[in-house]
Amino acid sequence: MSFTYPHAGAPALQDVSLSIDSGDVVALLGPSGSGKSTLVRALAGLVPHFHGGRFSGRVLVGGRDTRDVRPSDLAGTVATVFQDPEDQVVMGVVCNEVAFGLENVGAPPLEISERAEEALATVGALHLAGRRTTELSGGELQRVCLASALALRPSLLLLDEPTSQLDPVAAEAFVEAVAGLGVAVVLSEQRVERALAVADRVVFLDAGRVLFDGGLSDGVDWLAVNRPEFVASRDSASHLASASGEPVVQLDDIAFAYSGVPVLDGIDLVVRRGEVVVLEGPNGSGKTTLAKIATGLLTPGRGTVQSRGKACYLTQDPGRYLVKERVDAEVAMGVGGDLGRARAALDRVDLGWAAARHPRDLSSGERERLGLAAVAVGEPDLLVLDEPTRGIDPERKRGLGNWLLEYAADGRGVLVATHDQAFPAHRRVRLGAQEVSLV
Amino acid sequence: MRLGPVPAVLLLGALAATALLADHLATVAAIAAALLVVLMRTGGSRRRPYLFGAFASGLSVLLISPLVAVVGSHVLWSGPILPVIGPIDVTSEEIRIGALAALRLVAVALAFGVYALSLDHDRLLASVGFARRSALAAVLATRLIPTLERDAVGLAEAVRGRGVEVAGVRGRGRLVSPLVSGSLERALNLAEAMEARGFGRPGRTRLPRAGWTNVDRIAVGLAVVVVVAGAVWL
Repeated sequence: MSFTYPHAGAPALQDVSLSIDSGDVVALLGPSGSGKSTLVRALAGLVPHFHGGRFSGRVLVGGRDTRDVRPSDLAGTVATVFQDPEDQVVMGVVCNEVAFGLENVGAPPLEISERAEEALATVGALHLAGRRTTELSGGELQRVCLASALALRPSLLLLDEPTSQLDPVAAEAFVEAVAGLGVAVVLSEQRVERALAVADRVVFLDAGRVLFDGGLSDGVDWLAVNRPEFVASRDSASHLASASGEPVVQLDDIAFAYSGVPVLDGIDLVVRRGEVVVLEGPNGSGKTTLAKIATGLLTPGRGTVQSRGKACYLTQDPGRYLVKERVDAEVAMGVGGDLGRARAALDRVDLGWAAARHPRDLSSGERERLGLAAVAVGEPDLLVLDEPTRGIDPERKRGLGNWLLEYAADGRGVLVATHDQAFPAHRRVRLGAQEVSLV
Repeated sequence: MRLGPVPAVLLLGALAATALLADHLATVAAIAAALLVVLMRTGGSRRRPYLFGAFASGLSVLLISPLVAVVGSHVLWSGPILPVIGPIDVTSEEIRIGALAALRLVAVALAFGVYALSLDHDRLLASVGFARRSALAAVLATRLIPTLERDAVGLAEAVRGRGVEVAGVRGRGRLVSPLVSGSLERALNLAEAMEARGFGRPGRTRLPRAGWTNVDRIAVGLAVVVVVAGAVWL
């Protein structure tokens, strides 16, 4: 099967041949923009029906040719969980959200509630059944989206980076729950170790082509030889000698609450010039809040913040918050429209080729890198990054880690809020101790 | 006992319709005040955009309407004669008409705010026995307002995070276009997810629905009475 998106020069998928059997758990790996999401959409019939474009070859799902049936007709046989949970939620209350797909596929009315509750229980989210979907965190929403998919009892479950907003404990429980279902699963993940822990087969895509398709052990061997960064990320975090420059930001006895609900209380944090500090902690522990306070975007309810120099902040999911019509102009915003500096910043994140493209034409991983270029272009004294590795492949993640170490070595400070336990840092600060687990 | 979503919508619709039909300033003001009381008891901080939208649009109509209308003989202020628009003067009749139009707009906007914040849209959707696609589109559009507000905050924060100030009407105005682009992208993603979840496929079923209570029936009767009274006596 081959596929080219409308108005795209190069195909997103080329000569892809795969066969997935019942019970297979396939780790779908590859660099950002390699075609993983497109392949997931092709298996769901959304390519080409929803997206248009040039399609050749065929995809058979449960014996049905996706060219002949609508994606909605495949629902139930196939269930998909997309990258961004916020863009998938239709209903206002969790139990109704899970029931939505069941109603669409014509499940018997008296079974709908029971199946919805069963699916919520499977992902450890039964306690959320009566909650409003607008009040849930990203991680909670991801579990609800998975429950919505599981409730359909599909033969093929397609997961496109389904744990991107979960902390490590919840993410591991999530993929283990999925692997234990006994249905065919295609798991596209940039946290490779997480996918390999439950997969029995590996498919590696690059530039739209399948470079490897085989069993888990062969896959790990192939990765070790051909894409070592994809298995190197299984190592624990790098331990670096601590730096001892002057503080670029110092927070003392910080407290913060949202609508009276305390998030931070009595927190101290120092980021010095020359060091990369990682903020760790489970969902809801206040990493983002503390990062924003360090940048000056939020004012704490109590405590003091002493900053020296300019601070910039890369928000979570920066690909959603794009302002300009061209990639280089997007980056140039931070330096008063200086396109020369913008292009140099784009080159540093390997996006020089995309300077004239529309930012929304980029893949999610590319948008993440664009966001990074847009905040780093001004070379702030303190660079604060909130989940910067989300959607970024291991090779680029390693490159990002090294680049941040160099950035800090130039006499600046870097603060990274992340769930990524392998991200290199001089110091790691852990917030909260909340346990999150799935049933 | 909690009012069902369909009777609640009918009652709110009746109040909005009565505000549009009634000619007495006091009647429309009373409806707007009643809706304001209900809105202030719901939604918490989420009611801010609805309050802002209602009163900003009402105030605009109140200020502009007397300047562009040409009604009445009791001139309170005479201004210059402008090309195309003509004489700019303000009469007491124009002020009354402007106030009535502004209050009508405020009442309708507040009714929408109450609908958006206090109704269970899932139950409303489940109760609609026909034109379900249109009902779902209306429910999703209702949800667009808080989503837009959240996106606007996120966008402004993302831009400030790059060291770019977002201040004043011009600064915030520059974010409108990307905000709309983002909403369109979000809508496209949602449409794709809905299709993947079987939306639009024939043979749909639905969760068993709760029947109407006496309170629901009384509310529907009240809605009819309010509209008729508004059209005939108020």
